[in-house]
Amino acid sequence: MPPVEPSSLVLPAVEREPVFQVRDLARIYGEGTAAVTALRGVDLDLFPGELIVLLGASGSGKSTLLNQLGGLDSPTRGTLLYRGWNLGAADEADLTRFRRDAVGFVFQAYNLIPSLTARENVALITEICRDPMAPEEALTLVGLGERMDHFPAQLSGGEQQRVAIARAIAKRPAVLLCDEPTGALDVRTGITVLEAIERSNRELGTLAVIITHNAILADMADRVFTLSDGRIVNERTNARRGSVSELAW
Amino acid sequence: MSLLDRKLLRDLRALKSQALAVALVMACGLAMMIMTRSLILSLETARDTYYGQNHFAEIFARLKRAPNALREQLAAIPGVAAVETSIAIQVTLDVPGLAEPAVGLINSLPERGEARLNRLYFRSGRLPLGQTTHGELAVSEAFADAHGLKPGDTLAAILNGTKQTFRLSGIALSPEFVFEAPPGAALPDNKTYGVFWMPYRELATAFQLYGAFNALALTLAPGASEGAVIAAVDRLLAPYGGRGAYGRENHPSHRRVEDEIRVLQGLSVAFPLVFLGVAAFMTNSVMSRQIALQREQIAMLKACGFSNAQVGAHYFKFSLAIVVVGVALGTLAGVMLGRRLVEMYHLFFRFPRLEFLLDTRVLFAAVFVSALAAFAGVAGAVRRAVRLPPAEAMRPEAPASYRPAYAERLGAARWFTPSFRMALRNIERRPVRGALTCLALALATAILIVPNSFRDGIGHVIDFQWDIVQRQTVTMSLVEPGPARAIADFRHLPGVVLAEPFRYVAVELRAGPVTRRLLLQGLLERGTLNRVIDAHSQQLTLPARGIVISGKLAEILHVKPGDEVIAKVLEGEERELAVPVAGLAEDFAGTAAYMELHALNRLLLEGDRINGAHLAVDGSRWDEFLRATKATPRSAGVVIKNLIREGFRKTTAESIGLLQKMYMLFATIVAFGIIYNSARISLSERARELATLRVLGFTRGEVGAVLVGELVLLTLVALPLGLVLGSGFASGIIASVNTETVRLPLVLTASNYAFAVLVVALASALSALFAARKLAEIDLVGALKALD
Ligand SMILES: Nc1ncnc2c1ncn2[C@@H]1O[C@H](COP(=O)(O)OP(=O)(O)O)[C@@H](O)[C@H]1O
Ligand SMILES: [Mg+2]
Repeated sequence: MPPVEPSSLVLPAVEREPVFQVRDLARIYGEGTAAVTALRGVDLDLFPGELIVLLGASGSGKSTLLNQLGGLDSPTRGTLLYRGWNLGAADEADLTRFRRDAVGFVFQAYNLIPSLTARENVALITEICRDPMAPEEALTLVGLGERMDHFPAQLSGGEQQRVAIARAIAKRPAVLLCDEPTGALDVRTGITVLEAIERSNRELGTLAVIITHNAILADMADRVFTLSDGRIVNERTNARRGSVSELAW
Repeated sequence: MSLLDRKLLRDLRALKSQALAVALVMACGLAMMIMTRSLILSLETARDTYYGQNHFAEIFARLKRAPNALREQLAAIPGVAAVETSIAIQVTLDVPGLAEPAVGLINSLPERGEARLNRLYFRSGRLPLGQTTHGELAVSEAFADAHGLKPGDTLAAILNGTKQTFRLSGIALSPEFVFEAPPGAALPDNKTYGVFWMPYRELATAFQLYGAFNALALTLAPGASEGAVIAAVDRLLAPYGGRGAYGRENHPSHRRVEDEIRVLQGLSVAFPLVFLGVAAFMTNSVMSRQIALQREQIAMLKACGFSNAQVGAHYFKFSLAIVVVGVALGTLAGVMLGRRLVEMYHLFFRFPRLEFLLDTRVLFAAVFVSALAAFAGVAGAVRRAVRLPPAEAMRPEAPASYRPAYAERLGAARWFTPSFRMALRNIERRPVRGALTCLALALATAILIVPNSFRDGIGHVIDFQWDIVQRQTVTMSLVEPGPARAIADFRHLPGVVLAEPFRYVAVELRAGPVTRRLLLQGLLERGTLNRVIDAHSQQLTLPARGIVISGKLAEILHVKPGDEVIAKVLEGEERELAVPVAGLAEDFAGTAAYMELHALNRLLLEGDRINGAHLAVDGSRWDEFLRATKATPRSAGVVIKNLIREGFRKTTAESIGLLQKMYMLFATIVAFGIIYNSARISLSERARELATLRVLGFTRGEVGAVLVGELVLLTLVALPLGLVLGSGFASGIIASVNTETVRLPLVLTASNYAFAVLVVALASALSALFAARKLAEIDLVGALKALD
């Protein structure tokens, strides 16, 4: 795989090479009569520095798509290129390196290591990648400069999720993938989490892809894709992207 | 089959490798218990049958010579049931195929009728016929086996100066020689020492002993006092050079059988119980995890109306299945290993029949104990599960809370990597589990120390005996004590470079109420060949006055250097003298006492006499020397050091080798099982955490390291702990064989430790690798899903 350089400048998306090029992507789970088609032919180009929102009903294939982009799963059919490199055909070891160097994940369930403090959860990742930011810097970026030495069990849900975001962005990833990051949080807490994602997208130029049920969040995106039954049924480009605090909650 | 039982079977199948690991550890404990208890039963049964059927005597005595008429008086002693008198004489043998001369102890058979006591059992052939044919001998099985002798073969012996050829009439066993070793030797030496039987008339005639006896055996009437009879026998034999009667307790062969049974008894309880304890702990951790994973199922079952008892029974059955497999494997292994050990016992102990007998009572006890252990292991977890209110069980378990590890709170945190911290904190959050895992690994390390410390101890004894104490090439003894000038004859034998005379005399040493009979050895004050060595491996100079005794003997008599002991001379003219203890000598078999040769002769008032000499022989003239000695009429026995030494080495290598393999197997199973189980349980408990790490870009190897980090730490603590524990076990078991007959020094070498560490570390590493293969099955996408 090609070297992954940290995104730095925020340039108009169209002028740059796409980060992901997705063509006719399909994913079928299982075989024969038990086969479930989660994605049936998705075409997509995602560019550096963009903030993308994926909308769609439960079971429409959003997570499946995100997992494909993150190198957690391989397509059944179709092309999946990351900066021209064939991610869809990569082997296990390359996928691991890809996730390590290029991708930051944020999950609905936070998935922090309970035996490590906030700072250590971030440090765990910064130790295995090149050119990371200091864990303290990442935690400050998500507004958690004060609570760095707390264990997950001592943090609220929103705080835990922000630690997860700090962990994801500390490696200066090219892509930040968030699967329903606010799904388990109340609105107010959700805002602080989204602000953290938006801020890293803006300040670090990371391509961010956010899955949500909440259509209101679409306003904070550059582009919004709506999935239904494994297909993209709608694409919308926002002329002006609103900041999280302006959203009509 | 109820649906709940079907669930049980499926759960078991899913957990089969973990259940098997527990069952294997349990099987180790059971195998040890069944093996040792069955061996005890086998030995005791063989011993009792043999002693009973062949009328093994209860009191024994040796004397110089007494007329056969004395037998009536002996039989008249109150409490004596039966008396048997005989002649026992040591001779030099010339065995075909053996260049070196060997030593034979020839015992007489009764002139007419069957022996009343210590009857022979014939493996093949028959009794030597005295009246009709001349020149027949029965030979002991151990010696016959060592030389491949069969009835009909011939063998030459020097009887009172005359070399005679004998035909072997049969191969025999005697309850007096179950353990057939030269007097005072720690191990049998069947190549150069054998026991023989021949008709009384021939043997007595050859030694001018016709009408007399020099050995006595008798049995006691029910209720008779052994001590009183011994005292009466001693009084009667005193004028005839009696060397002191003794009971079975001090009978060399009987004593060795008892020692072996005692060692087995020592091994039959503590070790197996510790293994079963480890198995109980493993059952507990497997079941706790299983129950934690099945919280919702338990809640559902209870919500549907299953009673606590039904739910509890379900999980108890689970551990019962483990017990059943463990008992089956343990019994099988115990029987197989027991059979192997019984075969090994044939090297040491000669019984007409020594069969492996399964101790069924112990089998039942073992089943009961292991079921108890498993149930104890699972009880806590089941109790917690059934107490859970259904509504609460439906909710996921609260997330684990952690805090900085103790070492970090001390300020050592700076140097720790995050994965190291995870490991430390995980251990601290479950201290009991960590401690028990550590203890089990330490145990595995410890049991490896034991057989090797035996091996090294015996090696030390062999080296000590033959490189430091007995440095002669051969020892030659005279039929009867002879004048000191006989040493010149020894010096003139071809190839002899150095000859040192010695004198043996039977004495009874007494200090306070304690007495011991032994051969007091008169040696040169500072010999070059046969030396007296102290506990610091320094040669002692025998003083002109006073006696040097074994450290063990001093312990038995409760004396220390400077104290006096009373020495009663049991040969010739009976005399009693007080002699000061001048020093303590180190030795490992029997008990010994030494005096300077001239000092001893002065004490005996016999003038300068010797029993034989220790010789150093020039290797290049060895054959010539042997030819000369085989024909030397006046020598009664020639003992050749290297031959005995080889025999020792072979026998110990065989027996220790088997023990070593067995303990290595047990240790490997425990280490492998405990690590495998811990890793699998961690894997299950921390699946989400580990999957997250994989998603975040950790390689499988890195995640594996996080998974086993905790176990590596525990192993690192366990290994040194195991070495300490093992040294303790070894010293405990060696102390239990620290008897008057044999003792072993506690020798703990670096290579012993290194071997134990290596085996356990290797087993642990392999096991961790094996468990970590499961990491490949971890569901990455599943880890992303929300908890609910
Ligand atoms: N591992 C799997 N095996 C079988 N079917 C799956 C698997 N993962 C997802 N699916 C199915 O694929 C479809 C899309 O799922 P998903 O991408 O998780 O939807 P969303 O995230 O939009 O709710 C669903 O019908 C789901 O049941
Ligand atoms: Mg989803």
